[in-house]
Amino acid sequence: MHRIKIAFRVIVFLFMWVVLHYALPQHDIVRVVNTYQERQDLNDWTRIFWARPDDQSATIINRDVQFIQTVKKKTFLLGFVQRDVTEVMVYRNEDTGWSWPFYFKFDTASLQTEADDLRSTPESPKWAVITHYGWRNEYISAFPNAIAIRPVAGPDVTIIPWFNIFFFVVLMGAIVFVRALWQQFRERTVDPLIDSAGHRVDEVQAGVAERRGRMTRWMDTWRNKK
Amino acid sequence: MGFVRLIVFGFVGLSILYLVISIYSRSLRREKLEKEFDADHPGHVDPDARDAYVEQGIVAYNSSIRPKLIALVYVVPTIVIAAIIYMINET
Repeated sequence: MHRIKIAFRVIVFLFMWVVLHYALPQHDIVRVVNTYQERQDLNDWTRIFWARPDDQSATIINRDVQFIQTVKKKTFLLGFVQRDVTEVMVYRNEDTGWSWPFYFKFDTASLQTEADDLRSTPESPKWAVITHYGWRNEYISAFPNAIAIRPVAGPDVTIIPWFNIFFFVVLMGAIVFVRALWQQFRERTVDPLIDSAGHRVDEVQAGVAERRGRMTRWMDTWRNKK
Repeated sequence: MGFVRLIVFGFVGLSILYLVISIYSRSLRREKLEKEFDADHPGHVDPDARDAYVEQGIVAYNSSIRPKLIALVYVVPTIVIAAIIYMINET
């Protein structure tokens, strides 16, 4: 039972981790190489890795998607430790509209223009920070979705993930609040019910004990007459 | 439609949160009133007086500003969403 409990908790935790790792914003230091637009087929299970910018896009089986090709600084530990090596990274650029994940992004065309404006060569690089969510996977053609781009002076800038700090503080607060709520509910509603039920059981048992006591006493009156 | 869906589900979700927080907050206040009464009247007391004291306290609580502040559960997410929309889409 104990092991099942642990396994259950691990699965819940992993699931949460995966969802948050996919959906929370991350920042990459990049140099934009090029942008392009390509027709994408959307009618298999990898549909979940594409956005749903508007209602008609839910049923459509293919549409044009914009992409941003970059050279990206590699990092360790979810971007906390920067490295000196680079890799190529391609971002898709899609509206998320009013649906999951809730970035409320409507400025795809503007973002594409900004990215175009930041294009540079290896000889005279212009560095920028791209905010994105999602995963890159070559085998199933999944791309992270670029949310915003802003130019920075050099590749060694420090990025403070304000939104994620705020998000996890709020999440901790929510967990503490739900615990307090549950404890109050138990203390005020569940425990009194159990108490009164327990009390009734006690009364019944006491009644039984008393009756038995009377019986024994009566029996004893016979026994004592030796 | 996406917008309508967000509004409807958001409203339902926040209403559940509103109800839960209302009940929780009132329960905390009731417990506090009971403890106050018990502290002021040590020893065996009249349960009717205790109930009257608690009920009076709950009525005072209902007409105070505190339960109205719970309506912020509707206001705060709306402001947060508006701020996110502004920050993501303004350049």
